[in-house]
Formats: sequence, structure tokens, C-alpha cells
Amino acid sequence: MAATALAAEAHAFRDEEDLQETYHANGWTDGLPIVAPTPERVEAFLAAAGLAPDVLLGEVPTREVRVTAEHAAINAVMAGCRPDYFPVVLAAVRAHLHEKANCHSTTGTLSGAVQTVVVNGPVRSQIGIECGAGCMGPGFRANASIGRALRLVIRNVCRAIPGVLDRASFSSPHRFSFCFGENEEASNWTPMHVERGFGANESTVTVHSVMTVDSAVDFTSRTPEALCDSMLATLRRNGIAGDEFLGEDTTAMLVIGPEHQRFYDRAGWSKADIRDYLFPKFTEDPGPNGRIVGIGKKEGLLIVAAGGDGMAQTYVLIPHLAIAITEPVIAPA
Amino acid sequence: MTNKPLIGLDPTSGPLARTDERALPSRPASLDGRVLGLVANGLGESKLFLDAVYEELTREDDTIAAVRVLKSSVSVAPEPADWARLTSETSLAIAGFGG
Repeated sequence: MAATALAAEAHAFRDEEDLQETYHANGWTDGLPIVAPTPERVEAFLAAAGLAPDVLLGEVPTREVRVTAEHAAINAVMAGCRPDYFPVVLAAVRAHLHEKANCHSTTGTLSGAVQTVVVNGPVRSQIGIECGAGCMGPGFRANASIGRALRLVIRNVCRAIPGVLDRASFSSPHRFSFCFGENEEASNWTPMHVERGFGANESTVTVHSVMTVDSAVDFTSRTPEALCDSMLATLRRNGIAGDEFLGEDTTAMLVIGPEHQRFYDRAGWSKADIRDYLFPKFTEDPGPNGRIVGIGKKEGLLIVAAGGDGMAQTYVLIPHLAIAITEPVIAPA
Repeated sequence: MTNKPLIGLDPTSGPLARTDERALPSRPASLDGRVLGLVANGLGESKLFLDAVYEELTREDDTIAAVRVLKSSVSVAPEPADWARLTSETSLAIAGFGG
């Protein structure tokens, strides 16, 4: 890696407290304390990914923003990441900046859409991404800081400031951080990244803009069909509007917990079987209280195994005007 | 002994370029004889709302004309051809958005 100087403006502070207060006052945080992004820490992150600071990760043309590896490193340090998390953060930022991830719309929307980060592959165990009990909540450094790093990039670099370019009426607590892994080992299903064309030994990050995080709780169904009908009811209650820009590529995500997975396993149902059952119903009349589920292709229904025992629950992630983008986690050369 | 200052890096992408050009344009004193662009994003009743605004304006001044643009997607900017119509045929525009 050629040595390239950091481009960010450096500020001197009397002490840690002075830095914290100044970053808050400048609007450079999400309201929580941050880790000081010193040049040494930022350089360590870039070294961990084997990237020069000026490597371009993507752009937001409507905001005249170009996001570099240095931008991502500064915000990942601030979020509390470790250097070995940084390749995962980079993949998440790349995914979010894909044209069809639609950064401008999904981070400016009145609806307060959130960015869900799903990690697949060996990197999960290498850095401690939680995939089981409590995986969507607090308590896991990798999950918490990687999701937060993406949101700080969105705020600080992509200019999504609440009340300015972020027009969310209420926003969402999921905008602090929303990252978890697929529990590949606890399921005999094909992992999501393999279904999306990656190797089982590759690590990936899938980023999906989500308008609503809903829950299909079903304690009573005992057949795969009945469980699918519960999930369908949740999808129809929310509806998924079509959009010219996304065409038939719209995606939605079912995060199926182990209590529901068990019934599919016993019946020998794969993820593909779930899609085969649900997809034809998306084009049926949803009834007087239902809404259209505008997913144009069967593979647009993404299925992830995650969560812990006990609660017979599937999370249904309703998209917001973007499709799920999967990027590889690139190890340093 | 003097403590070394703590150095922290600016985490932003910097100020917007050409901020001076982004100031609000001056508002016309009158709409007399002007062509208005009416840009609806297609969500909710945005088109009906803009039509109602136009109807109200023409009630006060019947010299006004309109170029209507209904975005092909709610989530991205108008098509280049629509931008061209707005910039070449109108002197001001109203954009309606919402959900």
C-alpha cells in the first residue's frame, strides 16, 4: 500500500473531554460518546484493510458526496470498532452506496427507514458477530459498533443530518445500530450469501434499507404452510409498494427464529420451498384489509436464520425504496 | 511538563461545494404570465394537491400556465427529459412530496 497522507482536517484538543464536547457541539456524533479518531487509530484501521485513505468506496451524486476509505475509518473508530472489524464496515459502506441501495432516498425519507446489516460467512466467528439470542439488540461489540459505524458514515459523510437532509418525522432507535449475523451453524439451510452467488467460505455483508421492522409471532401453527401464512399476513398488513426505479428487483427479508425453523426442518422445507409457497400468493388479491406485496421475483424474498430459542417469532423486514445489496468482505492483500 | 494536545480528525465530507450558488433564488413579485413547473413525486395525493394549488393560483391570475411533471419513481430525481422541460419551459417550479 502506497503511503498517502490523511486528508481530513486535524483538530487539537486540550483533553478527551474537550474532544467529546466539541464533536457533540459540531453535530459529529449520534448523541452517544465516541472514541477519539486520532490519526494513529485511523491509520491502524486503514492498515487492517490494506487500503490507502483515498480509495473511493462510493458516491452520493445528489449530495455531491464521495466516500473514501479514510472517511469510513474515521467513523468506524468513532463508533467503537476494532481494526479487524473494519473490512466488514467497508463492505457495509460499499453496499449502502450501491445505486440501488438508494442512499439519498433511504436516508432522507420522512419514514425514517433504517439500514439493516446482515453478516454471513467465516468473519462472523472471527470477530464475534452475534447471530443467536439477542442478536438484534445491545450487548455485542461487533454488532453494535459495525452497525453504528455505517450510521455515522451516513450522518457525517453522506450528510444525513436530522431536520436537514434527514427528513424523518420520528426516525427510529434502529438508526443507532442494526447489525446481526445469520446463524448458519444452527440451521441446515443454505446461507443467504450462498443463495446470492457467493461461496460458503466467503464472508459478505448484506445491507437492506428497511421501513418497518415487524414481527410475525405465531405460537400455534404446527405446519410450514401455516407458518408461511402468518408471515404472509404480516407482509400484507404492511404491503410493499412497487417502484419504477427498482422494477422487479424489490427485496424483503424474513429473519426466521429457531422455534419456527424447527417446523420447517421437520418437514424438510428449504428456503426455496418457503419461497415456492409464498411467492404465488404475492400476486393474489390480498383481501379488503391487505396490501399488495410487490416483490417481482421469487429470489427477492430473502430468508435469514437468526435469533435465539424460546420465542416463536419471525422478523419481517419491510423494505424502503431500495434493494438488498450484498458485498464481499475483502481481506487485506 | 507540557501535555501533548489530543488530535482528532474531522469525520465529515466537509462543507458543501458552491454554497454561495445554493442560496434561495429571489421570489418573483408576481406570477403574471409565468409558466409554473408542477413536480409531483407520485406518493399519496401529491398530484391532486399540486393540481389544486394550480387551480387556486389561476383563479387569481389567468395568465399563468403550467408544465406538469409526475416523477416516474417516487425515490429518485425526475428523468433527464423532465428536467430539460422544467429548465427550458418554466420560470419557477413547485415540488410536492410526501407519503
